[in-house]
Amino acid sequence: MIPSLAGRTWNACFSALQLDRFVTAEMTEGEAERLRVHLTGCARCRTALDELRAGSEERLPPLRVVPLSPRSRVRIRAAAAAVGIAAAASLLVMVRPFGVRTKGSFALAMYVDHAGEVRRAAPGEVVAPGDAVRFAVSAPADGYVAVLSLDPKGRAFVYFPAGGRAERVQAGSDLPLPLGTRLDETVGEERIVGLFCPSAVELEPLRLQLEQGGPAVPGDCQVTRWSFVKR
Amino acid sequence: MTLDAAAIERLYRSHGHIVLRRARALLGSEPDAQEALQEVFAALLRAPHSLRSAASVVGWLYQSTTHFCLNLIRNQRTGARLLQVAPTPAPAAAGCRGEALAELRSLLSRLPAEAATAAVYHHLDGMTHEEIAGLLGCSRRKVGYLLERVQQSLARLEQSA
Repeated sequence: MIPSLAGRTWNACFSALQLDRFVTAEMTEGEAERLRVHLTGCARCRTALDELRAGSEERLPPLRVVPLSPRSRVRIRAAAAAVGIAAAASLLVMVRPFGVRTKGSFALAMYVDHAGEVRRAAPGEVVAPGDAVRFAVSAPADGYVAVLSLDPKGRAFVYFPAGGRAERVQAGSDLPLPLGTRLDETVGEERIVGLFCPSAVELEPLRLQLEQGGPAVPGDCQVTRWSFVKR
Repeated sequence: MTLDAAAIERLYRSHGHIVLRRARALLGSEPDAQEALQEVFAALLRAPHSLRSAASVVGWLYQSTTHFCLNLIRNQRTGARLLQVAPTPAPAAAGCRGEALAELRSLLSRLPAEAATAAVYHHLDGMTHEEIAGLLGCSRRKVGYLLERVQQSLARLEQSA
């Protein structure tokens, strides 16, 4: 038997919507003052508000800047399966390497979504402004990964992750990173630096060093460098 | 209001917890709730102009989250029916509220979209008819009618159970 849904599961006087608007400072001063006065005499609303505030302090995962469409995800998986691990290794050849230092089998692959068609980036890849790119890593062991870039104007960015430190990945082959990006209008050669580290290194110092001609990569990190041309 | 990617990233950091909390309550599944969180903001990245006509950013997030979650609940039910398997019961929060949420999910998968949305706003979020009318863009009278339909659907389900 289905029991009766008699009342609300929310039991505060003010709705969750109003309390969320209060927490995020979206209310007008008049609305906020009315709520503040109510809160002084209502334990239920104070409890509800405390719960919402506690939830607002939760650390969120990185936002996937360019989530690929379900169709694209299928194509990526299909492409990876079709290419196979052995062939994938050949495609992971670095494009115009500079100062390459690699150990083990850490590797970075790049997928490009151009007008809905996903392809795996090959050496000498030419991409277009507006294309979405997403990286995949092959990691020999569990570790921490970051992907930085230096654009044709000499500006450095962190492509992955969205947080300030390298993010943990598990060992495996061709694992798509959960964050992509869409390429801007700046044309020219863009350099990519993939890092694989034993700890969650801070990325802002590395980003600054990359802009200044570096980076001075932490000694215990493996590095893979790429470049692609945008035009 | 139109946002660039950087502003949307900041909005994700400051308001994403609202989406995640409501998706968890509606879906009862952490992976599904995380997917809802990403998809709501992905939709905003694809169409940032959609916020232009919104009177409230929080209200827009409520609408988008509810829309995504209800679609997912309906699709899961349809998928389960097509595969002729019982839908996996979502783990409910402890206590009466958890039971009520599980019951609400079961009911939502059977309701027309507009009535399901009104039921979510009323039962899960505790909104008044006026607040629901504001988000649905309809009259308070229509909200009353929709919630009445919810109760009627529930009564029919009780009779057939």
